[in-house]
Amino acid sequence: MVNGYLATSLQEALEIRAKNAITPYGGGTDLMIEPAENANYLFLSKVPEMKKIVEDTQYIRIGAACTFTDILESELVPAILKEAVAQIAAPAIRNLGTAGGNICNGSAKGDSTLIFFATDAKLRLVSNTGERVIPITDFFLGRKKTSLQADELLVEILMNRTGLSNYYYKKVGARDALAISRVSFAAILNVEGDKIVNCMTAFGAVSDVIIRRADIDVMLAGKTIEEAKAVKQAYLAAYDQAIVPIRGRISAEYRKTVCMNLLRDFLESNGI
Amino acid sequence: MEKISKSAKKKDHDAKISGRALYVDDHVMEGMLHGRLLRSAKAKARIADILVPELPEGYFVVGKSDVTGINQVHIVLDDTPVYAEELVEYVGDPILMVVGPDFKEVERILHEIVVVYEELVPVLDMRKADTVFFNYNYAKGNIDQALEEADRVFIETFQTGYQEQAYLETQGIIAYPHNGRMTVRGSLQCPYYVHGAVAKALGYAGKDVQIIQDVTGGGFGGKEAYPSILAAQTAVAAKKANKPVKVIFDRREDMEFTSKRHPSISTYKVAVKNGEITGMDIDVMFNSGAYTTLSPVVLQRGLICANGVYRIDNLRVAGRAVKTNTVPCGAYRGFGAPQTFFAVEMIMDHIAKELGMDSLELKEKYMVKQGDATSTSGKYHFHVPLPEMIERIDELTAYRAKRKLYQNQTGRYRRGIGLSMFFHGCGFTGSGERDLIKAVAKIRKNADDTVEVLASNSDIGQGLKTTFCKIVADTLGISYDQVYIDNPDTDRVPDSGPTVASRSLMTVGGLLQRAAVKLKKEWKTGEEQVIEEHYVEPDFVIPFSLAEFKGDAYPTYSWSVNAIEVEVDTLTATTKVIGAWGIFDVGVPIDMNIIQGQMQGGFLQGIGYASMEQMDYNDKGMIRNNSFSDYIIPTAVDVPTLVTEIMNNPYTHGPYGAKGAGELPLVGAAPAYVEAMENALGANLNKIPFTTEDTMRILQEVNK
Amino acid sequence: MMIKFILNGQAVTSAAKANERLLDVLRDEFRLTGVKCGCKEGECGACSVILDGRLVNTCMVAMGSIEGSTVMTIEGYRETERFAVLDKAYAAVSAVQCGFCIPGMMLASECILANNPNPTEAQIRTGISGNLCRCTGYNAIVEAIAIAAKEGRGLW
Repeated sequence: MVNGYLATSLQEALEIRAKNAITPYGGGTDLMIEPAENANYLFLSKVPEMKKIVEDTQYIRIGAACTFTDILESELVPAILKEAVAQIAAPAIRNLGTAGGNICNGSAKGDSTLIFFATDAKLRLVSNTGERVIPITDFFLGRKKTSLQADELLVEILMNRTGLSNYYYKKVGARDALAISRVSFAAILNVEGDKIVNCMTAFGAVSDVIIRRADIDVMLAGKTIEEAKAVKQAYLAAYDQAIVPIRGRISAEYRKTVCMNLLRDFLESNGI
Repeated sequence: MEKISKSAKKKDHDAKISGRALYVDDHVMEGMLHGRLLRSAKAKARIADILVPELPEGYFVVGKSDVTGINQVHIVLDDTPVYAEELVEYVGDPILMVVGPDFKEVERILHEIVVVYEELVPVLDMRKADTVFFNYNYAKGNIDQALEEADRVFIETFQTGYQEQAYLETQGIIAYPHNGRMTVRGSLQCPYYVHGAVAKALGYAGKDVQIIQDVTGGGFGGKEAYPSILAAQTAVAAKKANKPVKVIFDRREDMEFTSKRHPSISTYKVAVKNGEITGMDIDVMFNSGAYTTLSPVVLQRGLICANGVYRIDNLRVAGRAVKTNTVPCGAYRGFGAPQTFFAVEMIMDHIAKELGMDSLELKEKYMVKQGDATSTSGKYHFHVPLPEMIERIDELTAYRAKRKLYQNQTGRYRRGIGLSMFFHGCGFTGSGERDLIKAVAKIRKNADDTVEVLASNSDIGQGLKTTFCKIVADTLGISYDQVYIDNPDTDRVPDSGPTVASRSLMTVGGLLQRAAVKLKKEWKTGEEQVIEEHYVEPDFVIPFSLAEFKGDAYPTYSWSVNAIEVEVDTLTATTKVIGAWGIFDVGVPIDMNIIQGQMQGGFLQGIGYASMEQMDYNDKGMIRNNSFSDYIIPTAVDVPTLVTEIMNNPYTHGPYGAKGAGELPLVGAAPAYVEAMENALGANLNKIPFTTEDTMRILQEVNK
Repeated sequence: MMIKFILNGQAVTSAAKANERLLDVLRDEFRLTGVKCGCKEGECGACSVILDGRLVNTCMVAMGSIEGSTVMTIEGYRETERFAVLDKAYAAVSAVQCGFCIPGMMLASECILANNPNPTEAQIRTGISGNLCRCTGYNAIVEAIAIAAKEGRGLW
């Protein structure tokens, strides 16, 4: 084909990626909005290594070319991811759009990206010469900039198998479908016995990069609910400082207020 | 239900559902060229120079010097140029068209053309406008005395924003010359409007211009006047090319640069004495944009509706349509009425609160009745069904009980319910039908005894093909299948007037019914017969004088009461519509499904107008919300099942008792929505769209 | 090199480049004008077709990604029994107004019922949430799909 390559294996895809100036193409739902006239696409939807959703001892491994519909139909995918993915755009977009594309376009508005941030997912990046597995937080360098190398492809997203069930999720858009997030928030609180094991939060669509502050969340780790209440104000104050929304169509004040409201509600819904 | 109301299978159902229906972009002609407009990048400037690169063979540029007739588009006044002269007056003002065989190449050339501008200072804010396009004033009674004698005067200002029609099919035209004539076909509502505009731009006699309406994917007023502009531009290009030229707007171009609903600012001064409303002094301003287009008529209707459904004996209404260097605004379903009905419903609401009453209680005291004078000293000649509509709404929604229940809510989710009452004046404002349109409609019986309807009104989704044929078939006593109608072609149909102002069924349907009555009497099997009918103004109408702004602005009115219930999430300030109810009196429905479809569609557009449909321009005069991702209209999950009921109130002078239906359902949704928001938030509100951010601001104020 | 795929049951080839839009190829090369363009940005659903059994917006699909795939447009769907049931249902409630959203809506309707022959109202609304309609307010379309679900027992 002209201006495109259809790979049928990861090996083939990586070879093409290494040798040619191409744009990796997952579902096209982002790339095709304003397609470059002479774009050369590497179509990944037929690469089996990128289309699987499997489980190993540690992780749920989601192929980067899995569509959002694949994710919704998989029994292995945790509920928090399904809830976010179910609210992406509309069925026709979900049938094409991929988790890999959502991450690699570098946007802080990515609805599945938010969940991967909040759950401390890892990314498996592979090239012809090797591979690396990095925390998703390390992948994003700035507004729409990722550390994806010119010869790399994102092959899998690795989510923790456990500790994701007590979650809070809210997407705020302009309407209930076909909406780009104006604010999105995902959080998890793991309590064992009477102690908080860990707290994980992430805020999407408000800044250049999804806001994930494990250093603030750690304030709640190891505490009982009562002890957590005692540090609640300090915790909220720390986020009040950390969340600096960028100006956009929707005002920074609105976004800030919603972030803080949702964060507070997350705590309160857990008794804090 | 009347027999005529029983729903028939729509005449255009089969073609549309199978994908066979051909819209303008689906037509491809031999040798056809593509055109794309080059538009001003400045809100106000003088064009100093235009630098066109060398063009490949077969590609050329069309501009003002190619206009063989007059470089003006005939709408009401003729100030819109076909192609810009020296001055450009808004971002988007068309300067040239690039034409050629390959669309991508046309676009490439377009981006290489350099326009050298001498920038001038634009006026963007309507409050700072220095040019008044139109100015109307009317009064009755003695408002100054009422204001003087009042013990309270309520003064409040209300704002309404743009609304974009967002028809699913964008604007499109094909023009092709042949044998000294020019044929123009496309997505349009008013073939004869386009006919006049094209003839003027080309300098052709009327007989040398042919306009054909293609299957049209929605109009809502957005294709009432705008196609005249595009048609003139494309016809000029086709004449220069001596080949067919097709221009189809892409969505961004359509959203940014075609006509929209006029934003408005209205200030109401309401005199109250001893707890009674004694007078209203109303000032209305509409933002016309850069050219006049339809602003005079939109303003007229807005002013006529300024005091709503209320009997106000001491009244003064002053209105201006002002020029700004922004996109010219035009027709959109409701045509000026949604703006002022919003304002008057809200001020009644606010006054009621101050007087310690629920808004419905106050409104009921002043609702007009049959026999009362209208705002312009005409008369409500027919029954006004508001009281029974209110009772029905209360039955359906428990409105009165909920209003009380929803006061002083705490908690994360807060509900509210609001109600509005309004009318839509049926048909063209004033004496336009009689003096300007002078509609003529025909039916022709063929030798095989099938009957063709010949009228210039266009089916743009509202089911005219079906309803016109039903009227004729039922009157003649023949099968619905024996009557047919094609898309109007000015070579074949008389000018029965434009498809606007909710006039088609009532006025043209009436002509067709009369023609059918005549044909039935004179029917000769096996022979071809043509019956022609001309519009006659009903004899009860008190003639309207535009100069005095006095008389019956409309022969009759369609009425409605809406209720909307909302739930606000105070954490996110987002609002869900949890119920929407409308009772509508449009006279006898000519087809129940069609009328219900119109009520539901219009109602949702009105809800969008109130809530999510926000459009503004930046400090350079550019509209920023120029795509479906940025200009937000409701999807199927943003609205519950709309409850719409038709109330039976036949109009004596309409075919089978029908009145104007198309626009009514949009007119009053916004005040019902905003009143519901007020109920939920415990605050007075005065603008639409009332958005999520507006809601958050109120929530934060209330929490301080 | 030609791109091969199955279009409305027929094996076809296209000389289009891999980066061209499926929407443009269907409309311009194959003259399937039942596939409409409403926005070109995946925001309206007017251009929906069924690709390998799933509803997609053809304006979002680059030709190179459909090599070997199966595409069904309204032109193919209208030959089916299921279409006839939906056709009758839409007609019964006069759900077709301007018609521009309708080919996409019909294919979305098919996908709803193919996935779930007995959908709730909420499921129907979600199923058409990517198909904008400006004319109907959605009531009649939702009702039509519900009628088809009832009448078409056994087909889906």
